[in-house]
Amino acid sequence: MTVSRRTFIVGCSAAIAAMTGSAVRGLAFAQPGDTTRRDILVVVFLRGGCDGLSLVAPVNDPFYKGARGELRVEESGQNAGLLLSNTIPGADFRLHPRATLLQSLYINRSLAIVHACGLRNGTRSHFEAMDYMEGGIPESGVPANGWLARYLNSINASGYLPAVAAGTRVPFSMVGFNDAAALTDPTSFNLSWNSWRYRSQLNQALDAFYSGDSPVQQAGRTTLTAIARINERLPRDSQGRVIPYTPETGVRYPGGRGASLGNALRTVASLIKMDIGLLAATVDYGGWDTHEGQRWIFPELVAGLAEGLYAFYNDLWRYHDRLTVVVMSEFGRRLKANRSGGTDHGHGNVMLVLGEGIRGGKMYGVWPGLATEQLDNGVDLAITTDYRAVLAEILIKRGALQTVDQVFPGFRGSLLGLAYSPGETIERPHRVNLPLVTR
Amino acid sequence: MIWSRRRFLGASATMAGAGIVDFPGKHTSSITFQTHSQTDLAATPPIELIALNRMAYGPRPGDVARVRQMGFTAYVDEQLNPNDADDALCASKLTSARLRIQYDAGMGYPAVDEMRPLRTIIENWGLAQLWPLTKHPAYQERIRPVEEVRAATLIRAVYSKWQLREVLVEFWHNHFNVDAYSDTRISATWPLYDRDVIRRHCLGNFRNMVRDVAKSIAMGFYLDNAFSRDGPANENYARELFELHTLGQENYLNHLYNRWRDVPGALEGNPIGYIDQDVYEAARAFTGWTIAHGQTISGSLRLPDTGEFAYVDLWHDNAQKRVLAFEIDPNQPPLSDGETVIRLVSEHPGTARHICRKLCRRLLADDPPDSLVNRLARIWLENKDASNQIAITVRALLLSDEFASTFGRKVKRPFEVVVSFLRATNAEVTPNRDLFWQLQEMGYRMFNWGPPTGHPEESAAWLSTNGMLRRWNIINYLQSSWLKAATFDLPGQTPPGLTARQIVEFWVGRLLAVPPPTSTMNRLIDLMRQNGSADAPPTGSADEIADRIRSVVTLIAMTPEFQLR
Repeated sequence: MTVSRRTFIVGCSAAIAAMTGSAVRGLAFAQPGDTTRRDILVVVFLRGGCDGLSLVAPVNDPFYKGARGELRVEESGQNAGLLLSNTIPGADFRLHPRATLLQSLYINRSLAIVHACGLRNGTRSHFEAMDYMEGGIPESGVPANGWLARYLNSINASGYLPAVAAGTRVPFSMVGFNDAAALTDPTSFNLSWNSWRYRSQLNQALDAFYSGDSPVQQAGRTTLTAIARINERLPRDSQGRVIPYTPETGVRYPGGRGASLGNALRTVASLIKMDIGLLAATVDYGGWDTHEGQRWIFPELVAGLAEGLYAFYNDLWRYHDRLTVVVMSEFGRRLKANRSGGTDHGHGNVMLVLGEGIRGGKMYGVWPGLATEQLDNGVDLAITTDYRAVLAEILIKRGALQTVDQVFPGFRGSLLGLAYSPGETIERPHRVNLPLVTR
Repeated sequence: MIWSRRRFLGASATMAGAGIVDFPGKHTSSITFQTHSQTDLAATPPIELIALNRMAYGPRPGDVARVRQMGFTAYVDEQLNPNDADDALCASKLTSARLRIQYDAGMGYPAVDEMRPLRTIIENWGLAQLWPLTKHPAYQERIRPVEEVRAATLIRAVYSKWQLREVLVEFWHNHFNVDAYSDTRISATWPLYDRDVIRRHCLGNFRNMVRDVAKSIAMGFYLDNAFSRDGPANENYARELFELHTLGQENYLNHLYNRWRDVPGALEGNPIGYIDQDVYEAARAFTGWTIAHGQTISGSLRLPDTGEFAYVDLWHDNAQKRVLAFEIDPNQPPLSDGETVIRLVSEHPGTARHICRKLCRRLLADDPPDSLVNRLARIWLENKDASNQIAITVRALLLSDEFASTFGRKVKRPFEVVVSFLRATNAEVTPNRDLFWQLQEMGYRMFNWGPPTGHPEESAAWLSTNGMLRRWNIINYLQSSWLKAATFDLPGQTPPGLTARQIVEFWVGRLLAVPPPTSTMNRLIDLMRQNGSADAPPTGSADEIADRIRSVVTLIAMTPEFQLR
């Protein structure tokens, strides 16, 4: 079957996926550990503090216009923001002009936006904010383990390779889940012995060295298990050589500023298509700490984000009925720009949620306004939605979490209604007239 | 030496599904410190080996005997007084080193592909020579200086007699982290930051070090203070000055207090920590501190394009400020506001504890006892004006009971894995870009770590599946035919006539500070002897025996024991 870009974006109903599914090799969803009714959760963390006021901008707000000057997204002209429907009251919200592909996903109702959202703790430190946020219990300080780890432990995630950090190390959100694997490229995830002659003896010895219970030995054993499982599942040709991963026709992961995101998402996509029992994946996308030169850096980062998410979502169109992507950042940025062409650390921010199980094409949250008395500490976008409301809803409705307390003990916020519960009829037209996307 | 996985990773295997979360502390405190327990004593090697693994990048052949002979205290005092004139081996390796540079021709410049000496290092290039490189049309020339410093750093780590200095240089580079590749003005002038700021002060006075960091080209561009000017100031540098360089996150109290006067001790002039109001004010104090790179001041008035530190009064916010409850009057002389802030943060007791804990976490264990940290912090503060404040403090740390009575509480970072292997095997190092690429894939980006935190210190951060696999593979890669970053002669170094068991014991002694379990020894001996006897010289062709020796050495470096220091 030919897959045009158009069917990529729109061809994501359960019916279509089921129809094509039978023809696709390896699309058996029943996996070790039975992951059938759980979405694969992909968490994209924008490290450095993404400027949510530029990503989803209140373009006509007089305080925004006054405080941001040349750094703002405008209502009209060359730097005009992209129109959004179904926004929240309070301003004319527009996507950043370089986020065309996010607009497509929004129009398609795959993408939901939550504004004025974040970590209520008053910290403006990157590292503290990330620890609190990834720990998930900011009232009690930094816990011993991350929120994703508690989720995976609470559902006894025991799949073949249940959790992957696409990078060199596991982020704090996953610390505490013992089977979490970090890797950059599954096709080369293997031991490289120099000695051919003694290879099997070397392998056996290494296994034996790492059979104990010290932290290093346990880490080694997790690694040896992951190596075995990945290599068992890697697609190979008739000579047993690993076939390099090829995305779906027409899918192009971004280069440039978005290359790190694109590469990591590509890795996640390849693992998902190996049907390896993946339940959660994390991806880091850094560079958002735009204290200076924001005019030049930020648009490239946004373009990378939009291209990356768009490519990933299209690449995985066969998996749309069980895939949810969350995009978050440790905090937003100061309303008022500084005098060196940037913005300093702020507070409230935007979160993005992408998936077929999401009531997309809609904004969520409550806009607090940008007048000085409406700002947090008089300087930053206030937070009206705890970031955990978004995560909790996804884990309950799209994941397999039983009660919120298992992951976010003490959290008492209400859910936003942005996700479909299992069994609910997903209201989505089969085809939407999209603006033609040219790249 | 018992660490449970739970302690180590703060893991949660027992809480699965239970809905119970317990909070033993911050996740960064990974390995619980136990002094003088029986298991510790059993696993603690002689002090020479502790020293060479923790205040050096592991022993080279002959080092253990030398330290034993001179005595540990004498070794510490020797190491605290490095003398470049007495480092002939390292000097000759730096002089003979060649690092490839290769680029295609471009507009106005020819193609280059040559093995070039580390000129900026061995000829001690200064600003006048380095700054013009920031304008070089070829990107490879603009980053050449940092590439040379990386190569020199590897060579020094492997060969320098002054190992403690190298360990501390790595520490301070991470403490005052700058991503040299984030801006070619930084990469082209990197030898200055390495030599005149980090190396110059690595055993010296902390306040002076903070001052020179603040005025450096590297930090000025990396944390944007070079662009900061009155109305609103750029907060990037000021924030990290507090949070990372001095008081530390543990003294950031913004989640508790919104007003400076609410911070305990503030009304007496001794606030216990800092909040955002201090950051805002400090940022104002540093407005006008910049690097002259030809920028326009006003009208036709421009700063020269030289890379020198400059203060531009027109960009400075002259009004009064209050930092850490200290009032700075308006209209102070040039640089005074910033220098006052540097004094305040450098001499704060919270800074003393933060830095001393961090030094302990580098040289001792992830979770050092508070008693030791507090004792060192007192020494640090008592010597705040001493020109060798850092050396005095480090000496007290190295000569503490805790240093001598613990071992194996740190997981080696990738750079330490590589360097300690090269040292133990007496390898010939030939730095190249591929090796640094391999280190990067292991998560260690020398002078290229993006966030201002520097590389993670806690052991658990280095035990991901990616990290484990790559620390195994790098031992193989280093000896492979393609990486070419070092040459080895392992069979040639093996004394002739040894039995299979003795060969294993010889290499275990070279590589490991503590003997591995018997089961590990037996595996190694089985590999060495194959069908022969453990207590006879190995049989087989010379090629097979050499392959076995190389495999045994490789395997020893892949043991859990080799990963620890």
